[in-house]
Amino acid sequence: MSFLIPCPHCGNRPQPEFAYGGNIGDDPPGSMLDVLSEDLYFNDNTAGEQFERWFHRFGCERWIVIRRDTRTNQVSEGWEGVDAP
Amino acid sequence: MRLPRRDGETIDRDDRRTFTFDGKEVQAYAGDTIGSALYANGQRIFTRSFKYHRPRGLSCAAGNCAGCLMEVDGEPSVKACTRTVQGGEVVRSQTISGSLERDPMRVVDHVAGPVTPVGFYYRLGIRPKAAWPHIERMLRRMTGLGRVGEAPPKPHRADVEHRTAGVLVIGAGRSGQEAAARYAAEGRQVILVDERAEYASLAIDGVEVIAPGTALGVYEGRLVPVHADGLMHRIRAEKIVVATGSIDQPLLFEGNDLPGVMTPSAVRRLVGLWSIRPGTRAVVLAADEAGDEAARLLREAGTQVVETIDLRGVRPPKVKAAARHGLLAAVEIDGRKIDCDLLVASAGRQPAYSLLAQSGCSVRFDAEKGIFAPDQLVDGVEAAGSVTGEGAAVLAAAEGAGKRTFVCPCEDVTAKDLVRAVGEGFEDIEIAKRYTTVTMGPCQGRLCHLHSVRALARATGVGEAALGTTTARPPWQPTPLGDVGGRKLNPGKRTALHDANRRAGAQYVWTGVWRRPDHYGDAAAEIKAVHEGVGLMDVSTLGKLYVSGPDAEAFLDGVFPNRISTLKVDRVRYGIFNTDSGRIIDDGTIIRVGERDFLVTTSSGGVDQVYEAFLLWVAERKLAVDVVNVSGALSAVSLSGPKAREVLSRVTDVDVANEAFKFLDVRQGAVAGASALLMRIGFLGELGYEIHFPSTAAEHVWEALMKAGAEFGILPLGVEALKALRLEKGHIIVGIDTDSETTMLECGMGPMIAWDKGEFVGNEALGRMNERGADRALVGFTADDLPNEGTAVLVGGEVGGRVTSARRSAVSGQVIGLAYVPAAIGSEGSAFELDLGEGRRGGAKVHIGAFYDPDGERMRG
Amino acid sequence: MKDLLRPGRMWRTGLPLKKRYDVVIIGGGVQGLATAYYLAKNHGITDVAVLEKSYIGSGGSGRNTAIVRSNYRTPEGASFYQASLDLYDDLSAELDFNIMLTKRGVLSLAHSERALATATERASVNQKLGIDSRVIGLDEVRRRVPALNTSRDVTWPILGALIHPGGAILRHDAVVWGYARGADRRGVEIHPFTEVTGLDTSGDRVTKIRTPRGDIEAGTVLSATAGWSSGICKMVGLRLPMKTYVLQAFVTEPIRPLLVETVVSTQMRLYVHQTTRGELVAGAEAEPYPTYQGRSTLTFIESISRYLVELFPAIRDVSILRTWSGLCDVTPDYSPIIDRTPLANFIVSAGWGTYGFKAAPIVGVTLSKLIATNQVDPLIKPFGLHRFTDDRFISEAASAAMSH
Repeated sequence: MSFLIPCPHCGNRPQPEFAYGGNIGDDPPGSMLDVLSEDLYFNDNTAGEQFERWFHRFGCERWIVIRRDTRTNQVSEGWEGVDAP
Repeated sequence: MRLPRRDGETIDRDDRRTFTFDGKEVQAYAGDTIGSALYANGQRIFTRSFKYHRPRGLSCAAGNCAGCLMEVDGEPSVKACTRTVQGGEVVRSQTISGSLERDPMRVVDHVAGPVTPVGFYYRLGIRPKAAWPHIERMLRRMTGLGRVGEAPPKPHRADVEHRTAGVLVIGAGRSGQEAAARYAAEGRQVILVDERAEYASLAIDGVEVIAPGTALGVYEGRLVPVHADGLMHRIRAEKIVVATGSIDQPLLFEGNDLPGVMTPSAVRRLVGLWSIRPGTRAVVLAADEAGDEAARLLREAGTQVVETIDLRGVRPPKVKAAARHGLLAAVEIDGRKIDCDLLVASAGRQPAYSLLAQSGCSVRFDAEKGIFAPDQLVDGVEAAGSVTGEGAAVLAAAEGAGKRTFVCPCEDVTAKDLVRAVGEGFEDIEIAKRYTTVTMGPCQGRLCHLHSVRALARATGVGEAALGTTTARPPWQPTPLGDVGGRKLNPGKRTALHDANRRAGAQYVWTGVWRRPDHYGDAAAEIKAVHEGVGLMDVSTLGKLYVSGPDAEAFLDGVFPNRISTLKVDRVRYGIFNTDSGRIIDDGTIIRVGERDFLVTTSSGGVDQVYEAFLLWVAERKLAVDVVNVSGALSAVSLSGPKAREVLSRVTDVDVANEAFKFLDVRQGAVAGASALLMRIGFLGELGYEIHFPSTAAEHVWEALMKAGAEFGILPLGVEALKALRLEKGHIIVGIDTDSETTMLECGMGPMIAWDKGEFVGNEALGRMNERGADRALVGFTADDLPNEGTAVLVGGEVGGRVTSARRSAVSGQVIGLAYVPAAIGSEGSAFELDLGEGRRGGAKVHIGAFYDPDGERMRG
Repeated sequence: MKDLLRPGRMWRTGLPLKKRYDVVIIGGGVQGLATAYYLAKNHGITDVAVLEKSYIGSGGSGRNTAIVRSNYRTPEGASFYQASLDLYDDLSAELDFNIMLTKRGVLSLAHSERALATATERASVNQKLGIDSRVIGLDEVRRRVPALNTSRDVTWPILGALIHPGGAILRHDAVVWGYARGADRRGVEIHPFTEVTGLDTSGDRVTKIRTPRGDIEAGTVLSATAGWSSGICKMVGLRLPMKTYVLQAFVTEPIRPLLVETVVSTQMRLYVHQTTRGELVAGAEAEPYPTYQGRSTLTFIESISRYLVELFPAIRDVSILRTWSGLCDVTPDYSPIIDRTPLANFIVSAGWGTYGFKAAPIVGVTLSKLIATNQVDPLIKPFGLHRFTDDRFISEAASAAMSH
């Protein structure tokens, strides 16, 4: 089992209860390639802290936002909703 | 060998047990381990080494080395020194190709040992190329430790318990006990774990003791699996105290792996726990107080300690152990030969910090003490006792590496091997480890990690601090797969009609997480029933989402590519759900039950993904929409066939006349007395109704329909009938006919898309693909030979696509199917070939539209 | 015999870093080293530096499960990996270093009709390209792997399998070391523990490579950094269509010979083979979220152990010795990116997912050709960045539910 996710509705729960829903706030598409493709497929793949969405599939069945450091899987906080705080 | 009764011994002399070892009966007491009993019975050679087949014996008696690996009741590579005797075990020696005492493979040690330097095999067998497979096969036969598969494993418990702990203390030595008692006094919920059986009877107020139990690792979120006799405790701890102590490090000298060479801990345990005299004439080389204590205990046990040499603060003497018949017979110290059958030697103690390192703690080299010790701990993890490095120190190895000075006895890696590896350029610890395999054996580096780093440091001239350590990796003790995996547990979903289906003779298949009836004995009869009479299918596995609220219409227009806002109340429409990049995720129906109320059905496997995507869309746009997953609450059946109307009319109060309940109409009413939602759809190509109703009424509704249909020969339908019937209509099944790249445009569903309605999921990507045109098309085809699903489509001799579905039509007798073909030949009548395997090819022709009743008269009638 | 017993140095160590090289390769893994080797050997370009932030082969090259095969789903993938397999087949002689390749075959189990269809498709595509790969029935599965539980009384009964006799296992580290030695002997400089901390650009060129040991200029810069590619590309303002995941594997204690073939079960998301030394090596799919954190998870060893024991009841008491993990770089279609970039002298090899090691020899040959001659080999043409801007994927996805 992996790290714990602080669900704002349910408290600290193990990661496998959740479904990953992608990160929020990648840089906007640049000019090097096609804008639509960049938006769809290209990403920052951040090594560090990022805001991301998770769905609490085996819990409250709600979308939440957490801040996670992808280098350590340390999760610093969880928020309700789907937008970065 | 057994001493008179001693205080503190763990054996119970009134409780005798026996087991067999290589066929011979061995006497033991309760409290003995297999290793201690064998030693008490005079057994000295316990196993042979991995590479050179050198004799090995009891050396640490504490589960820290691989000197005593044996097969116990079919379980290979058990550390005999820590496996408690239950009585009746069948124990066999392993890694031998003869007997323990006479192993013909020891020739490898005598002949090859000195001339097969590390890395030998990387230079061997390169030319001629044809030779290598033979050499490889020969090597395979020579290697491996334990056997499996000769006897079925004895069944034993393998369970998992999920636990939480306020404080988990690992290690029940003095510091561990103190920490446990302290936290318990503070009112914390404390669990104390130790791998040593002698702590089984330990009792501390307010502390739960698990012993023998092994903490296998420290995982993210302070999760510690503790393995105790077939039970895996998964303990999630608020705080972890690591008090794993320190481990006797072997002294490095020529012959240091011989049976008869022991660490002080082995003496302490042999005498203290099991009251066994370890030998008759002993030499002790003491590097710390543990060595001093061993000398004292030996004297107590009646062993003649012929010489004790204090290694502290002196120039390390040159030591060489000599063997007779594979056993220690004498030791040479600076050229002085002393006859002995026991040599107690250690270089000191190294903290057992592995669990700390796994938790993320950093480790540094303490040059003064010659040990690696934990440095920066992480939050929620404490260290107590000698694991911190307190009181631990290890002497540097003597100069001059011998040919048989084993740094890593598990892997038969010598000090000389390491020097040679450095000479070849393998200067870093990690890369040298991979080249020499040092530290990669069953002792998990307990005895060899420090020595190998120090040997490399010396050879490279780079300090230990700069060389660093290798990564600490779970598990801390080798653990059987069966115990780690626990019980077989693969939950599947069953519908509310599962039992009714089983009574009807269902043969089940997995469809995703669902167990569904594949057929009820005769799929062909089921298909025929639908075409000529009536069939009833359990479709409760469909996902069902209830969508309601003021923004429901706008929401559905946003998530589906077709226009939903024009759907009238009491009507149903087909819908496809796409990804942002325009690929098909799922399909289903949208049923309008009110101005602001819809029921959306999804495929059996797709509901979670669609539900989550729906909720995300709602949340992102802050829409006033409720999405409720009612998949489990509602069951559903589909009633199909020319007699469906007749059957339905007998159990419902809904007017089912064709003009009153048209194709794609939706009605609410009672079916067999249960409130139900009925819709007329035609996925199977005949007149058909899909009926949704509360799961609590499922069996009742099912049985009422079966009864009403009896006179028309109604049959229950399985998945196979569904696949065949829908194929006649050219309907796709998402996941069978689509892959992760399939778009609506490729499936001929482009006309469904309402391009002008503004933003919807996947609109930009689909728009771009629509402009440039699809590369491939999913089309129907007819063929002469029935291809396997997956068969390649050949166009001009090249692979141009594949068959996704194919059956022989029950109606026409023709082979029909769906296949991906290049878009250029995706029009009616285009010919292509099917690769039927073994060089055979078959002709096929594109067919656009349904194979059966292309105008849909039967389902509309 | 003399070389057997008294091996010389493998490579030079402690080389000073020069101010400029014709080619700088970022990443001292198997792909970077293979490219350096073929640059020197096939094109005579020896003014090459390989910069590695840790020891050579420290990333995926030393963490994969050392299975090489070519039974891919797409014709593009299958031909590419077959070319790689052909090079692997002769690599021991080529490098004069035994990579211990043994063609024991890869057996991919089908537990469902759907899986049989995928197997049929792969066999069809493979055979068309001359790759030995075919669907076999349960009887042959039983004959080949007697240790498998082929009864119906299991969670997912086995229906058949795709057998790929040309699939092989080998010593992955040996490939790294062999290429490193070969490159070093031809004059390539290998610089371990030399991390690239920045890339300066001017116009459409990379002008400077920054390292703690000093700045370097280069004619051409290649990034061959797998899971870390996004970070390197970010230094020049380029984003990639990939995410980094962690993949885990474990090894058991050595046991007497039990398995010949590599056995794959997509349904159970695992693969296992037995090394020449007797260990069982098993691996599984990536964790379902992107991460650079390489700690093993308990869920992984639990589920894989459970499935392995269900497949092979006899190994229930065989112990797990060691678990480890590695990063892998996954693109939307599970096919790699091996291409030039909008920066004229910057080339990227990334997005290999779990296939990077299998591809190394052919990557070395084709990338060195691209660097030396500016010619895009037909084998790598399909794997350019253009497929994302054109939205025309080379999808291994259907079979890439399996990560090995």
